[in-house]
Amino acid sequence: MLHAEMTQLRTARTNYLLNCGGCHGLEGVSNSRLVPDLRDQVGFFLNLPEGRGYVARLPNVAFSKTTDEALAGLLNYVVFSLGGDSVPKVTKPYTVREVSQLRRQPLTEVSLARMRQRMVSVLINQYNATTELRRYGEDAY
Amino acid sequence: MTSPFDQMSERLTRNLARFSSRRGFLSKFGAALLVSPVFPLLPVARAAKGESPKTDFERNAQATDDTKCNYWKYCASDGILCSCCGGGHHTCPPGAEPSPISWIGTCLNPQDGKSYVIAYRDCCGKPMCTAGKSCLCDNSDRELPTYRASLNNDIIWCFGNSSATYHCSTAALVGAVK
Repeated sequence: MLHAEMTQLRTARTNYLLNCGGCHGLEGVSNSRLVPDLRDQVGFFLNLPEGRGYVARLPNVAFSKTTDEALAGLLNYVVFSLGGDSVPKVTKPYTVREVSQLRRQPLTEVSLARMRQRMVSVLINQYNATTELRRYGEDAY
Repeated sequence: MTSPFDQMSERLTRNLARFSSRRGFLSKFGAALLVSPVFPLLPVARAAKGESPKTDFERNAQATDDTKCNYWKYCASDGILCSCCGGGHHTCPPGAEPSPISWIGTCLNPQDGKSYVIAYRDCCGKPMCTAGKSCLCDNSDRELPTYRASLNNDIIWCFGNSSATYHCSTAALVGAVK
């Protein structure tokens, strides 16, 4: 069996740990200034169509060692389990097809920091998102 | 007038028909079919079941002494074992703090044959621990080169701490591979 197929057979939680958990922390929090918190925050981005795409098009997400199926499951775990109350009420889960298309347009030609900052301002001002979103990028040391 | 090729192939075919029997072939083929399940350990069969062959580390791993480099949770530890420095394989020695950022891999437990998720956290904030050579490990199961930084063990993972000074390495079990 190919490695990719084995990845797919693992649970979303295991895939999260192996592909994201080292930096983002076992429960979605590590060093908040150095790595963005996922817990109770990541869902805010799904208020914006651009933000929904952003989450799947981030280079480390798009290029992760996962199949489209596994990545869709992983993202839904991150958004709906770790995201907690930050997820907008009517949010639909990522579909395999959607993830497959999004990851083929990785965000490699933009300033990720500026793109995030711009969205975070909109989310805080218009969508009542927590100002904790601004902690990432503060001087980490 | 037939060509030499035709003659040769005719001779071959006739000899084949004269000296071999279909029954003979069938009985040998049947015997092979019967015997084949006795050899399930061929690499191909193992691969088909999704089991990857054991690494050199996994063949020599033990589950009793965590001050030795071949303790099973250290399958990708590259550094000085905290268990030789007054800490444990998942705890930092007094005065050192664990890195919140690490890399995460899997190791095979020789006792139950199952794989577990391991967080390779460094302990930071104290000068490098001085321990015997046997505590200096360089294992690399499922580690990737530095350009896949999130799965690399040459990196000092203390960069997320208040002090980035490296003291020693731990290998904390954080879950079963499910």
